[in-house]
Amino acid sequence: MHYARIIITLTLTFLALVGPRPAAAEEEFVTALTGKFPPFSYYDNQGNLAGFDVDVSREIAQRINLKSQIIATEWDGILAGLLAEKYDAIIGSMAITPVRQQSVDFSTPYYHSGAQLFIHRDNPNKVYSISECDGLRIAVVLGETYQHFLEEKFPEVEVVTLKSGAEIFAMLEQKRITGFVTDRLVGAWQVKEAGRSFVPVGEMLYKERIGIPVRKDRPELLGQINQALAAMEDDGTMQDIHQRYFGLGKTSSSELGTMQTSVIAIKLLKGFAVSLAIAFAAILFGFALAIPCGLLLTFRRGSLKPIHFLVRAFVDFIRGTPVLIQLLFVWLGLGLSPFPAAILTLGICAMAYMAEVIRAGLMSVDPGQDLGARALGLSPVDRFRFVVWPQAFRIAIPPLMNCVVSLVKDTALVSIISIPELIREAQSIISVTFEPGLYYLIAGLMFFAVTFPLMKFSDRVEQSIKAKGFSHD
Amino acid sequence: MIEVKKLSYTYADGTKAVDDISMTFPEQGIFAVMGQSGSGKTTLLNCIARFLFPQEGEILLDGQDIQAIKEIDFRQQVGVVFQHLNLFPHLNVLENMMLALERVQGKTKAAAKMESMEMLERLSIVDLAQNYPAQVSGGQAQRVAIARGLALKPKFMLLDEPTSALDAATTSDFARWLRELKEFTSFIVVTHDLPFAEQTAEQGVFMESGQVREQGSLVEVLKNIDRG
Repeated sequence: MHYARIIITLTLTFLALVGPRPAAAEEEFVTALTGKFPPFSYYDNQGNLAGFDVDVSREIAQRINLKSQIIATEWDGILAGLLAEKYDAIIGSMAITPVRQQSVDFSTPYYHSGAQLFIHRDNPNKVYSISECDGLRIAVVLGETYQHFLEEKFPEVEVVTLKSGAEIFAMLEQKRITGFVTDRLVGAWQVKEAGRSFVPVGEMLYKERIGIPVRKDRPELLGQINQALAAMEDDGTMQDIHQRYFGLGKTSSSELGTMQTSVIAIKLLKGFAVSLAIAFAAILFGFALAIPCGLLLTFRRGSLKPIHFLVRAFVDFIRGTPVLIQLLFVWLGLGLSPFPAAILTLGICAMAYMAEVIRAGLMSVDPGQDLGARALGLSPVDRFRFVVWPQAFRIAIPPLMNCVVSLVKDTALVSIISIPELIREAQSIISVTFEPGLYYLIAGLMFFAVTFPLMKFSDRVEQSIKAKGFSHD
Repeated sequence: MIEVKKLSYTYADGTKAVDDISMTFPEQGIFAVMGQSGSGKTTLLNCIARFLFPQEGEILLDGQDIQAIKEIDFRQQVGVVFQHLNLFPHLNVLENMMLALERVQGKTKAAAKMESMEMLERLSIVDLAQNYPAQVSGGQAQRVAIARGLALKPKFMLLDEPTSALDAATTSDFARWLRELKEFTSFIVVTHDLPFAEQTAEQGVFMESGQVREQGSLVEVLKNIDRG
């Protein structure tokens, strides 16, 4: 009982720390970007968010007298997050398109750019414009306007969608793609600053106006943003910010392409702590629910039959749908804050799998055990608590450990709902250092350091159960 | 005293396993319920142990209908050891005994432990206290199961086919051991093993097709069966 109290206290403390915060608190101007789009947004060598978009966000917040809060999230879910009121605006280099304008309102453009094809300097495929790329692999970041453009205008091009620039650059270094289409400024900056081995070819594919989307029900906010942008143009602030990142020799090269080892270590450890904390909370929550659900799953007859079928259907549904969809549904569909959404989703997912394991454990206990306990006069509750459950639980430990191991690994998915866990931190490091091999390996090893002892523990329990002759056939 | 009056039990498939039988189990000694398999003796035991509910007739414990007794009281007065014993494999012998003392009789852990150790000692199996059921032999397991039942100090103890898993030598040992337990309680032993019944019981019935064929002192019953 003592342990239970400690665990509950820890969980509550954790939930209080990470728990729901109003995404759009009145005093804050909450904006979103990816943090993986240098020089517009990236992590500097101290591990802090930096870039053109970051500076614009902070400047606007100051001018409309709100405190700036910037959330880094995935590009492919960034508009959905805005619509779900996770933040007030996206200041993340989003191009103004008619399709997007159907769901959000854009500010006046805060810069102009365009799509540009970049290829490897060696040019193994001998291409000099996009029209020569039929049948060749050209990469874009998933969800960017370039993808739609290419598919529409150059249907013969094989479009490869990847999650971030870092992945695209790594693929191109390895010559696994012919080239990529990205923002002209971003590509040019990469060539100049990070010494990437690729070059722009051909004309700009098209020009883009980059704006700040807000929800359609926030016209006052849009007005304030437009006023601030106009003032920034007028007094030269916008020009200053632009100079900071694109002016000749203005960017300090030492700041980019590198990150201090201590910063990297802290980012990785912090990310891993977040992963483990989410896993821990979800496992606790899931296991607590799995016991009654597992028990209900064994009642196929009797008065609890209707509840049995409800639980059965729910468990089957959860097991039969991708965790990723469940996460996005709870985050965007139900509108929960990221941490509660992650814990709830992974917890319910753990519940579904664990309930099935517990059901199997309970069914494998000899029915004579319950009868024997009844003959001694034990109450139904005591029969379960002292006789049936301890045996079922021991039988269930090895498969339960498998559930725990998968759940720890599944925390990698929560990066999609903008939680800074290990994978996301690794990606942000990679977006600066361009060493995907190294940092994905380290992240993998960190997971393994936790899951390996769990697997060994499960083996040991299995041996001891066999030795004691539990479970009947 | 347990009295069985005009008892009949029919299973859901229509099989009449016990057919209008009456008998009295005295409050002393060892009483054997004998018969071939299918004679209805285990059904009778399950009715007396209140795991089956007869459609006709009644069973009285000290004059009171057993259906009217509270579950927790009934279980403390009538113990059962099943053919498969159903010892709890996750608990050692001592813990197997202590569980009901603590949870049913509400004794403290210390009291339950003391009583259990005393009982194990009187039954000369105290050296098994720390063993798990998987670590004891068939004969020992049988004794442990009986000890677990006796710990609650029941008036009657029902044993279902106690010798089914024992070889001949072990059976004789067990019979000798069981005879010494008569001071603790009265036993109703359901068995198809007539030599074992002869070695242990004073009185008995011989059942056939759900009915009592012979009853009386064991010597008489066995003699009449031989003759028949």
